[in-house]
Amino acid sequence: MNVSVKRIQAILIKDYKEFSRNYAISVMIVFPLLFALLYRSEGSDQAVMYAFVMNFSLAMLTSFVQACLIAEEKERNTLRSLMMTPASMLDVLIGKSSLVFIISAAVLAISTYLFGFDTSNILVLIAGLALSILLYTAIGTICGLYSKSLIEASLAVFPVLIIFTMGPFALVFEEDYPIVKVLNYLPSSQLSELMVALETGAATSELTSPLVIIAIWTVALTVISFVLYKKRLKDY
Amino acid sequence: MNTISVKNIQKTFADNQALKDVSFEIPKGEIFGFLGPSGSGKTTLLKILTAQLDPTSGSASVLDKPAKMMQKTEQKKRFGILTDNSGLYERLTIEENLDMFRRLYELPKYSIEKVLDFVNLNADRKKRISVLSKGMRQRVTLACAIIHEPEMLFLDEPTSALDPVNTAHIHKGLRYLNEKGTTIFLTTHDMTEAETLCERVAILHKGEIRAIGAPAELKKTHRDGTMTVELTSGEKERLSMDGDSAAQVANWMSQGQIERIYTNELSLGDIFIKLTGSELV
Repeated sequence: MNVSVKRIQAILIKDYKEFSRNYAISVMIVFPLLFALLYRSEGSDQAVMYAFVMNFSLAMLTSFVQACLIAEEKERNTLRSLMMTPASMLDVLIGKSSLVFIISAAVLAISTYLFGFDTSNILVLIAGLALSILLYTAIGTICGLYSKSLIEASLAVFPVLIIFTMGPFALVFEEDYPIVKVLNYLPSSQLSELMVALETGAATSELTSPLVIIAIWTVALTVISFVLYKKRLKDY
Repeated sequence: MNTISVKNIQKTFADNQALKDVSFEIPKGEIFGFLGPSGSGKTTLLKILTAQLDPTSGSASVLDKPAKMMQKTEQKKRFGILTDNSGLYERLTIEENLDMFRRLYELPKYSIEKVLDFVNLNADRKKRISVLSKGMRQRVTLACAIIHEPEMLFLDEPTSALDPVNTAHIHKGLRYLNEKGTTIFLTTHDMTEAETLCERVAILHKGEIRAIGAPAELKKTHRDGTMTVELTSGEKERLSMDGDSAAQVANWMSQGQIERIYTNELSLGDIFIKLTGSELV
């Protein structure tokens, strides 16, 4: 597969300039920071609240911004122009995901600091959040590629926001409604589980399972976004 | 040696046959014009040649490789494309748009300067795309398509939004590119553009090539074998080109009655109407 750092950089620089001048989308970086300040707590539910802030930020910032960046390219026909340049599928997808990854990583790091989350294992926390950023970027890419316009993309992200952010909270009903147990396998529920385990200083073996499930989601959704992009290369 | 070779291409969308057994070849270094009204199949063919669409049957090769290989990075470096769907980044300046393309083609910085001169936009380089007129946007899109001086250039109505001065400027530039070896595949509605720019043209109607050849050849083939003599009295006489007419003309000439004589050639637009029975719109 043909990958060029120069071409990825070209797309990243272009996206950064567009993002910094598009206030309707760049304002999204404020919300995670605001939520981190609003929900900061030191009680027994600190990990659960921290996971909520992170999950909300991932959907609202990572998926939403990525979906909008891709959908706008589609709406203005620049995605097809980009596809006709020497940029390969990986160049475009990595290039277009890099900006959102960097911004999300920086904003989540600042949010974590503002929230004041105490963790027993910073490396596992970073791994969990990094995998989640990739996962939510893939979701954003899929929503963007499916949508025909910017408005459609911003609406397409809402089900993700609701299911992934509120999913872990719905688990309180799992005894009454066994079907709800399936929500345990949501990446957001797994991230929440990981945060609780990190707060209580659980053994490494307890940390592995959530990380593996998040990783499986990440791989599966990344593959789907690649397949979808490849389909968009051609008309039918 | 041919840059484009198309053999028996057919394309069907549901019940609509967009292309019917289309075959032609374009030698290296030629400017080839595709004439046809909207919906005649021009864009479908252009998409097949650039691997954006698969043909239902038949084969095509571009730059010595099957057309389906045009999505490969190495092939994409060899051609440029401008279509009515080509987009630009509205929040970026002309220079920033070109800078992205320069980086994607891994070109030196001075290539921006060169291409801006080519499309006559050097003075406006710092302007954002969102404030540009349609004609200026068209010129920026063209600049993006040719920044890498491609071997093969696909142009879909390249001067449709331009005024005569800018059209002439672009034509001059395209001829310069062509002299440097770029083969140009051009679709156009503009008969003057086709006649002045193209070495050969094909007339496409309802997915079929109705005629192909140099504009002068087509005119020769389709002329009606008559000439018009304009007399000093203001009268116009339409004569067939035979011995009797020659004697008549010699007679008028000896009496100094002839103002002008010309053969009655059809324009490309007339030929199109003659071949297809429809207007070129």
